[in-house]
Amino acid sequence: MKFTRFNRSLLVMAAAMLTITACKRGHDNPGKTYAPNMYEPVGYEPYKQEEGFKTPYTEKGTRGTALWLPVKGTVSRRNYNTKFSDSSARDLMIYNIPADSIEIAERTLVNPIPLNEKTLAEGKEYYSRFCQHCHGETGKGDGLVAAQYKGVPNYSSMSGMKEGHIFHVITNGRNRMWPHGSQITPEDRWKIVHYVQKLQNGG
Amino acid sequence: MHTDFIGFSLIKMYSRSVISTLVIVLIALFSSYQSVAQDAAAGGGDAAKGKELFSTLCQQCHAVTDEKVIGPGLKGITKRRDTAWLLKWVKNPQAVISSGDAYATALYAKFQPLVMQSFPDLSDDDIKNILAHIDASAAPAPAAGPATGGAVAATATPASESPSGLFTAVLVALLVVMLLVLGVLLVLVTILSKAVGPTTGEGGQATPFLQRLKTSLGAAASNSTLRSIVLWLFVFVVTKQTFDGLYSVGVSQGYAPKQPIAFSHKLHAGQYQVNCNYCHTSVYKGKIATIPSANICMNCHGEIKRESPEIQKIYKAIETDTPIEWVRVHNLPDLAYFNHAQHTNVGQVQCQTCHGEIEKMEVVEQRSSLTMGWCIDCHRKTEVATKDNAYYDKLVALHKKGSKEPLRVANIGGLECSKCHY
Repeated sequence: MKFTRFNRSLLVMAAAMLTITACKRGHDNPGKTYAPNMYEPVGYEPYKQEEGFKTPYTEKGTRGTALWLPVKGTVSRRNYNTKFSDSSARDLMIYNIPADSIEIAERTLVNPIPLNEKTLAEGKEYYSRFCQHCHGETGKGDGLVAAQYKGVPNYSSMSGMKEGHIFHVITNGRNRMWPHGSQITPEDRWKIVHYVQKLQNGG
Repeated sequence: MHTDFIGFSLIKMYSRSVISTLVIVLIALFSSYQSVAQDAAAGGGDAAKGKELFSTLCQQCHAVTDEKVIGPGLKGITKRRDTAWLLKWVKNPQAVISSGDAYATALYAKFQPLVMQSFPDLSDDDIKNILAHIDASAAPAPAAGPATGGAVAATATPASESPSGLFTAVLVALLVVMLLVLGVLLVLVTILSKAVGPTTGEGGQATPFLQRLKTSLGAAASNSTLRSIVLWLFVFVVTKQTFDGLYSVGVSQGYAPKQPIAFSHKLHAGQYQVNCNYCHTSVYKGKIATIPSANICMNCHGEIKRESPEIQKIYKAIETDTPIEWVRVHNLPDLAYFNHAQHTNVGQVQCQTCHGEIEKMEVVEQRSSLTMGWCIDCHRKTEVATKDNAYYDKLVALHKKGSKEPLRVANIGGLECSKCHY
């Protein structure tokens, strides 16, 4: 009698061991947290999406986000940089040229960033981050994405292009290229312009 | 012996020369066939020169495939139109349209108000070279590159290449082999015991193998040493599991939630080498790296793979003005402060240092533990990138007086509580 009871408890223990060690958290489960009120932010985190947030999206989406669109025509304070130019009016102008008026940009915009080794190196860095996968390392339009995207031009056919033109194209897009103004600050865009001009005029 | 040796080497030489001639003939045949195929339509243009010209002049509006870019796709153009017409067209499309040519007017009607730019400076040979390039590209390439299309890339992803996957596979294989061996041994034992049983068994009666196994197991269960071993093992396993469980509270390592859109970092960051910063725009500028808004997806997917159901989800989000509800993978508790810009600019930390081999992940997974011990460990080990940074010059000089070790993050306050907790 005692013997069988012990045997049974041995079996139970083995089963328990197997179950305990076999348990693994699923990929969709972040696991438990201790004291979640210290873990969860009290303030609004940028990407917080929550039921009942009163935002412009609440009516349309299922959940509101803490992230709101800025008022139309907003100029980022950080981007309103008058230090690198002699004219604040010109700095502001880049925000006011309509997307379809590339001729105005070509005529009026002047690169406020001085061309030197440092800015050119920075331009190259930004080019490699934002342009290279389509336009290619040397601007031949042979980036890895270009093979899929099609219609990426070769810079060698574009020597002598105006800096305002290039800036406007980065900001608002042109032909098949879509606008990249939301991704790159104006200052960085001007640095890219330096590097693109260097590539266009034969490296 | 001697003659034998010579004979052998002669045969060897003969066979070798036969093989080499065969190879040469084959290569010559193949290459002539290829050049014939390439030159056939374009009347002997040079495809290599044409490629260079095409990339400078045509690529912006035309693809060598049948896809429409801005102008029509040019695959098979030499079969559609004769060379004389093409020469006229490329040099001055407007004139061809004005002359009332039926094909040209139809083309104009389809693409108006766009008219192809005229290239009066191109010589006849230049245009023939370009046509040769188009034909050469249309012919199936002898050895297709690693990625000829998005569909190929998407399907050609092996299930698991990670070392852990390999490890499990080996483990499972070993287990299977062990089980097989066990089975064979059992069979052997039963056969042997049957064969030997009658002579050794008491009373001439062979005890069945299973019966004997049962009795010996019973004996083992009543053995006190064995019992205590099993008991201690049980206690050990339970204790270890309890502690492991407690230590994993608040640690989400391995968390890889399913996202609303099956975006693959392996494809975008790995295969196509789109820079992290292209989508995560503020990783060098702000506290958070930012999750790209739909307009950044559209920079490429306004044109590429528009039919894919996953891409359609982005279009729907844009049309209904609803944010895409990405699931956040890397969470730090609110009580700890972390800033991306600080680490990527001054610290020059690579994305992969904390996020793992993100360019190989189909679904993003939290690879690091993100515990305080993990942070501190890195701060203790990592040397400060003081080179070419004048800010650190005096600090480095000061540090060198008191220590022979290089300046690490821990030395400049990387272990201070209030740096991250306040």
